[in-house]
Amino acid sequence: MTFGAIDFAQPWALLLLPLAALPLLRRRRDTLLFPTLDWLPRDRAGRIAGFAWRALAVLALAGIVIALAGPGSPETTVTRTGRGAEIMILMDRSRSMDAKMKPSDWRTIDPHSLLYQVDSRGEPKSAVARDLLSKFVEQRPDDRFALMFFSAGPMNVVPFTQHDAVVQAGITAGGLGRGLSDTNVGRALTAAIDTFTERAYTGSRIILLVTDGGAHLDEPTRKRIREGLQANRIALHWLYLRTLNAPELDAEASAPPPAAEGDGMDAIEARNAYYAQESIAEVSLHRFFQSLPVTYRLYQADSPEDLAKAVAEVGRQQNFPLDFEERVPRQDHSRLFFSLAALCCALLLVYRSLLLRSWL
Amino acid sequence: MSAADELHEFHYRLPQRAAGQRPGSHPGSSLGAGQEFVSHMSLYDRPDPRRLDLRASVRSTTGDWLVRVNRQRVGVTVQLLVDVSASMGFGARRRKIDVAADFVESLARSAFRVGDALGMLAFDQRERADLCVPATLSRGLGSVMADSLRQCTPAPGGIEGLEDALQQLIGREALVFLVSDFHWPLDRLGAALDLLSHAFVVPVVVWDPAETEPPPYDAIAPLRDAESSVRRTLFMRPKLRTQWRDAVAARRAELDAFFSARDLRPFFIHGAFDAEAMSDYFFEATS
Repeated sequence: MTFGAIDFAQPWALLLLPLAALPLLRRRRDTLLFPTLDWLPRDRAGRIAGFAWRALAVLALAGIVIALAGPGSPETTVTRTGRGAEIMILMDRSRSMDAKMKPSDWRTIDPHSLLYQVDSRGEPKSAVARDLLSKFVEQRPDDRFALMFFSAGPMNVVPFTQHDAVVQAGITAGGLGRGLSDTNVGRALTAAIDTFTERAYTGSRIILLVTDGGAHLDEPTRKRIREGLQANRIALHWLYLRTLNAPELDAEASAPPPAAEGDGMDAIEARNAYYAQESIAEVSLHRFFQSLPVTYRLYQADSPEDLAKAVAEVGRQQNFPLDFEERVPRQDHSRLFFSLAALCCALLLVYRSLLLRSWL
Repeated sequence: MSAADELHEFHYRLPQRAAGQRPGSHPGSSLGAGQEFVSHMSLYDRPDPRRLDLRASVRSTTGDWLVRVNRQRVGVTVQLLVDVSASMGFGARRRKIDVAADFVESLARSAFRVGDALGMLAFDQRERADLCVPATLSRGLGSVMADSLRQCTPAPGGIEGLEDALQQLIGREALVFLVSDFHWPLDRLGAALDLLSHAFVVPVVVWDPAETEPPPYDAIAPLRDAESSVRRTLFMRPKLRTQWRDAVAARRAELDAFFSARDLRPFFIHGAFDAEAMSDYFFEATS
């Protein structure tokens, strides 16, 4: 039952509302007999008190009855405008992410002892990534974030929301336990794209892929990813956490396929080199992303500092206004009425304690 | 006070001479057996040889036998006029009507002792016929009257009831006790009292301590008038208490002035009837 902006959970309780008129009945019991009022002074304070207790009693009863009816403002949806993007954080949860990163001074370390240095002084990639992501989320209160972990399959953790606390909790939850066994970027990307397909386009969209390994994607998966990204106009940012001895995605890896045709020695050499590179999973993935018709950026991070720079870079990229609808759940106001009634009852108790109930 | 051993009687005399033939204790105007010498009369005029005054007869120039003639003390009719209106039903410890009943019991005993006939009329809005007792000399009537008063249910009343009840007493020579709390407009009371010009009227003002003295502590007092059921809430505080006491004192002064203008003196009963105070009242009135 709805009256204007207020609805009632148990509207039948309002039938009790006439009970609130009970204190208005003038009962002889409420008063003390006196032989003649003629010789008593007229008292304004007394008249106010006599009126006030009736008003308080009516208010208390009405408050209780209305509170029993359970008033509340109904569920609504509010359109909010935020600045920023919808960012889907797609984070690798595989075991390789537990490996250590190079310490920040790795360039000065003797290459022979680098492995040991990394083992002893490095930080786990996932921990660094989580720290930075959580700072990233914190710095961008206007963005809407979603969080998805993946290993062999995608794990949807937080759907799109502007409530950063939830996202932060999801990111923290990523640190529990050890990593899982496999890394399936293809399934994860398709799942991440699918979360966008049912949403209205309200602002720029980003998938932030945080992983350390690549994958060879088969042709149907590539097709789905390409079409999905294009249809939903999603930009792809890849935070590549590079482990020791992992391939570097440098200019050579990003180079387009050699145009060299023919059977010349050089041309064959170039083609061989290209395809040899192609067999490396990371390079293959990078080249596939480069071929996509949407914005693609690669942030390669060797050490935590690189990662921080990369995250800051992502932050700089996106700053567009964004419209979205938020559901505001039903607000129950019965507590307010109960406290009003309780206050009235307390005042009535005060009145009662002041009351002269007998002449003795 | 209803127990007989606690019952106190009081002494009363009419301050004026009363006509009447029945011997009693009040100064009368009729001649008869009494202590008060009036004159000598001839034995032939008043053939009462017991009162023959030899010394006076010898001295007499006419040579008549002279007889002493004395004035006889007489009994009078004592009439009670009791207000049983709703305001008399008020009382913190005891209802004022109960206090009035105590007084009636005490009066009945005193009246019997001096040989006066006692009758009662009660009134609220009009005369209460159920409480009417004709004047008799019967001894046990006092407790009957008192009990009927204690058991009656007070109803709203006013000065009209007094005027109604007074019709039976107009022109009679009597001692009238008008028992009420006098919460009336006094202008009509004057005309009513004029009807009793032959009688000696004692206004007995019955007030309860709770109505003359405000409650000692601060409180909210929702009050209802006994007669008119009008409501008024008072917030008791020092200022209001002063006003209350002032109002009571003013009313008392007003009653005193009103009655003394008619050569009457009100007798105030506060909470309980004091028989000795009533005796004092009559000693002062007769002296």
